[in-house]
Amino acid sequence: MIFNEIYGTYYKVVAEIIDEALNGTLNEKRLDEIVSARAFSESILTIPDALKNGTWPLIDKNMQTPIRHSPSRPLTLLQKRWLKSLLTDPRISLFAPSCAGLEDIEPLLPSDRVVYFDAYTDGDPYGSPEYIDIFRTILKALHDHRKLMIRFKGHNKQGHSWICIPYKLEYSAKDDKFRLITAHMPHVQIINLARIDSCELLDSFDADSFDIPQAEKCTIIAELTDERNALARAMLHFSDLEKETVKISDSKYKVTLTYDRGDETEILIRVLSFGPMIKVLSPQPFIDLIKERLNLQENFCC
Amino acid sequence: MAYNELIKNFGRIRDYMREFYVYGFKSRCDYDAKSARSYDNERRRIESFMGEYMDFQRTENGKIVFISVDCRSIPHNPLYKAFKAACFTNNDITLHFCILDILAGQTAMPLKEIADAINDDYLAFFEADHTIDESTIRKKLKEYENEGILESEKQGNKLYYRRADSVDTDIDSWKDALAFFSETDPLGVIGSFIIDDAGGVPEYFSFKHSYLLHALDSEILCVLADAVMHERIAEIKVRGQNSNHVNTHNVVPLKFYISTQTGRQYLCSYDLRFKRPLFFRLDLITAVTTGGRASDVEKHLAELEEFSSHIWGTSNGRFENSELEHLEMTLKIDENESYIIDRLLREKRGGRVTKVSDDIWKYEIDVFDASEMLPWIRTFTGRIAGLSCSNKNITATFYDDLEAMQEIYKEVQNDI
Repeated sequence: MIFNEIYGTYYKVVAEIIDEALNGTLNEKRLDEIVSARAFSESILTIPDALKNGTWPLIDKNMQTPIRHSPSRPLTLLQKRWLKSLLTDPRISLFAPSCAGLEDIEPLLPSDRVVYFDAYTDGDPYGSPEYIDIFRTILKALHDHRKLMIRFKGHNKQGHSWICIPYKLEYSAKDDKFRLITAHMPHVQIINLARIDSCELLDSFDADSFDIPQAEKCTIIAELTDERNALARAMLHFSDLEKETVKISDSKYKVTLTYDRGDETEILIRVLSFGPMIKVLSPQPFIDLIKERLNLQENFCC
Repeated sequence: MAYNELIKNFGRIRDYMREFYVYGFKSRCDYDAKSARSYDNERRRIESFMGEYMDFQRTENGKIVFISVDCRSIPHNPLYKAFKAACFTNNDITLHFCILDILAGQTAMPLKEIADAINDDYLAFFEADHTIDESTIRKKLKEYENEGILESEKQGNKLYYRRADSVDTDIDSWKDALAFFSETDPLGVIGSFIIDDAGGVPEYFSFKHSYLLHALDSEILCVLADAVMHERIAEIKVRGQNSNHVNTHNVVPLKFYISTQTGRQYLCSYDLRFKRPLFFRLDLITAVTTGGRASDVEKHLAELEEFSSHIWGTSNGRFENSELEHLEMTLKIDENESYIIDRLLREKRGGRVTKVSDDIWKYEIDVFDASEMLPWIRTFTGRIAGLSCSNKNITATFYDDLEAMQEIYKEVQNDI
């Protein structure tokens, strides 16, 4: 069962408090600090009292504990079965974890029983040794804060090379692709991993001294008409974005969506997919893009 | 009953979190009087777990609370936190720490010795007179054995318990994989538990087109996954899409279909009453009970294979008639627009793409329910030279919608 207190935040926090007691450094102030920092916002009303008044007899009033070892728990069968399932996923070859301890464990859900039916079919080549090598080099660069020299082919098939600061490895399940987000000063650059021909680790950089790349944000405001279940579909479809919805009338809603400027074309076709159920109200340049498509389409209409 | 921030009934918080996250426009007064109190408590709990992701707006109907997240900017699914708030008894937490401490270092002990140690060495440490009876301890040992935390072995006529970490997994070697799969796997919440145990993982992954909501259906998915693995029949309770009416289905769970464009998850099953493959949205399944062993699973999987080659999404349309709808779309694609051809090829699913002339390409497909394709077809607006379908309603809807769009954007222009 997933919904089980053994995985809960309260158990984690109490383990940390016991650990502190074993180290002899626990006092009331420290107990409150641990709860405030690690638990939920209202846990401070529960955990310290339950420990101090003996409701949970694990810490006494002198902040001593009868527990003798630093608290730990073996992995549960559920956790092991989940790990075993990952070994059936083609993307696991990118990571090469140790399979020790999982030999006699059955998977929880093998990857061949999961179908991502609308994912694009030109996903990254996870079985390619060259791709795996590039992926692992990038992971190492991210881990060790090292710069990278990247050689890749652009859209026009022309070769390029960059020295960049790797920032994030971004994955899209829809595209089934990884992209490397880099701080290639002065701009943020994003490159599909599958386009990279080679990459090389360079010297290290001070992770605290470089500015985190920020994508430029755009906002559209649209009116949504709830016909043919459009409300439920749109709310879910756009739930990967920052959004705000206000009900205007029984069947009309005002929706505000925020997205990265680089994704404008993608957002445009996502909006178009809702047809007349979504009417963009602003900004004008985005409306113009829709009109441009409609005008082109008008040429074909009988 | 006094308010407790921990959760007893996950089903209720599942519904509220969905409302706050997906819709986010309902105020307290949109709930009836009976559920207004429940709304207050659940909102308070969700704020306690996810305060940093919650926002609110004031309208004439009152305060509206919602969860707003740019999925690209967060390394962990915040909805997992709800699974880390299960309530427990005082004995649960006491026994958890005492039993695992007593059995630390590969010590094996029978129930009686464990019970004596708990009462004499641990609880006696406190002034208050506190003991826990043997039968409660036995139940906890059994429960932890079922969870795989403890192992038992018969020695003579006694059952000895020990911790199950004799051959443990090298979690350090899994950290990067955990960081990735805990956010991309449909049961990633389990990975999130391991990350908590491991004290964190690197945060250099980010996720685009990431739909967080699936997390709330993890418990249902987990039980059904187990039924898939063990080829069990499952009785599922399914709530209506637009009503609270619940139907019961007895099914053979076969696979899970997941949309990467909405995050919606479906159970793909063989329905024992209707004797055909049926899809059920996981977010509408309220309860699952697994039963006896299913027969003919391989046969049902083969039927599903054939069936799924003619579905665009998860709708079987008028499957009873087994009538396929034939759809053809021709697109004008200029020579310098090869990226559109790439799009067609990677998004075509069961369809076929052929070049008709220098700048005209044809896409065709046979599916049970072509109406599911309309949103995708509309994404090609501006270059659809022709659209035909054996189901005339599809083309009528497409062209009517197009006309409606042209009208509404004329209005927008006039408004400006």
